[in-house]
Amino acid sequence: MTTTWPYLDIHQSRTHEPTPYEFKLAATLEEVFTKDGHELPDVIRGLNARQVHAPDGAPWTEESFRAEMNRLGA
Amino acid sequence: MTTPTPRVGLAASADHIYATGLRNQWHPVVPSDFVAPGAMRKVTALGEQWLLFRRPDGALSMLADRCPHRGAPLSLGKHLGDRVACWYHGVEIETDGTVSSVPGLPGCNLEGKKLVTSLPVREIGGAILAYFGDEKHPDPAELTLPEPLTDPDVDAILCYAEWNGPWRFAVENLLDPMHGAFLHHESHTMYDGDTTAKFRIRETERGYFFEKTDQRGVNFDWVELCRTGVDWVDLTIPYPPSAGPGGPFGIVGMVCPVDENRTGVFFWRYRRVQGWQRDTWRFLYKTLIEERHWQVLEQDRVMLEAMPADADQRENLYQHDLGVVRLRRMYRAEAEAQASAS
Ligand code: FES
Ligand SMILES: [Fe+2]
Repeated sequence: MTTTWPYLDIHQSRTHEPTPYEFKLAATLEEVFTKDGHELPDVIRGLNARQVHAPDGAPWTEESFRAEMNRLGA
Repeated sequence: MTTPTPRVGLAASADHIYATGLRNQWHPVVPSDFVAPGAMRKVTALGEQWLLFRRPDGALSMLADRCPHRGAPLSLGKHLGDRVACWYHGVEIETDGTVSSVPGLPGCNLEGKKLVTSLPVREIGGAILAYFGDEKHPDPAELTLPEPLTDPDVDAILCYAEWNGPWRFAVENLLDPMHGAFLHHESHTMYDGDTTAKFRIRETERGYFFEKTDQRGVNFDWVELCRTGVDWVDLTIPYPPSAGPGGPFGIVGMVCPVDENRTGVFFWRYRRVQGWQRDTWRFLYKTLIEERHWQVLEQDRVMLEAMPADADQRENLYQHDLGVVRLRRMYRAEAEAQASAS
């Protein structure tokens, strides 16, 4: 932890630099929220339609998406 | 950089209090994680030097950074787990400010005396708050924490930054919503909204609202100043659809008067979200949104740090500045009252 004044840190909530997968997922989510809607089914459909899949390559389900967001957003 | 700071109660002037922060209330100091378990950290707040000391079990205390023997900074001393030993002659101080031992002269009458000021502290939302009483008001003022930081249905993430400028300028900036439509016009959240507006002040039990009369939910359209033992502001700013469900995000803002020229700013960005919506918001925040918010905050910092020190002495105010005028009157009157009571 730095002690020099001033403390100016752009990223204070991250625990690690996001991986390319995380960046891509986040950017795609923003696009889905903008174009497809805010309900969970909209999100699952939007991600799968854009071929942005879970790390195991499988299409998203509501369960897998919830679990992944819980892992990444906790 | 700063002049010596008389303690309130020892003839602190109203000017000094106004410049270094009001006494007899709570203020934020630094984020909690600035002091790891078993660590200590020197900080400046309200123009004075302090030592934050955390025991290995996490318990935190805040002591004046001044050895009661001959005034050496305790922050240069040694962390002994439940007490600190001054480096100069080894005098040991407990976390409540009591001298526990004088190794050079065992049995010395300093032992057992509480000779170091120790401030009441609380931790909330990842930040350390401390009560800065003057000599007549050592017992902490009643503290009601901001609801967005205690409501389990609200998720808040702290952003802390250190700015070179008077603390008042940072608070005034928050009581000046109209700057959003100009200074932050290019931002991702404040691109919209009229650049003309009429404002009004609405008094509340705990402070006042300063709000537009003709627009809400479009830009930075209102702010509430809350005085609940600690001074804080509440406001909301709409998110674009890309941020997903949960509606606008709110900000709880607090300010630490570090000294007359330096300020610590605390912004909790909060949103009323639960379950997958909460997780998704946090994921987007960490990955993409935090950096955008930072750029907006930097616009404020650049502007405030460039303001001349006497900016508030030579102004031509208009209707949009009512919120700032009200704030200054209140703080000035309180500084005068605290100085004359001491
Ligand atoms: S000044 Fe601290 S022990 Fe002497
Ligand atoms: Fe701003």
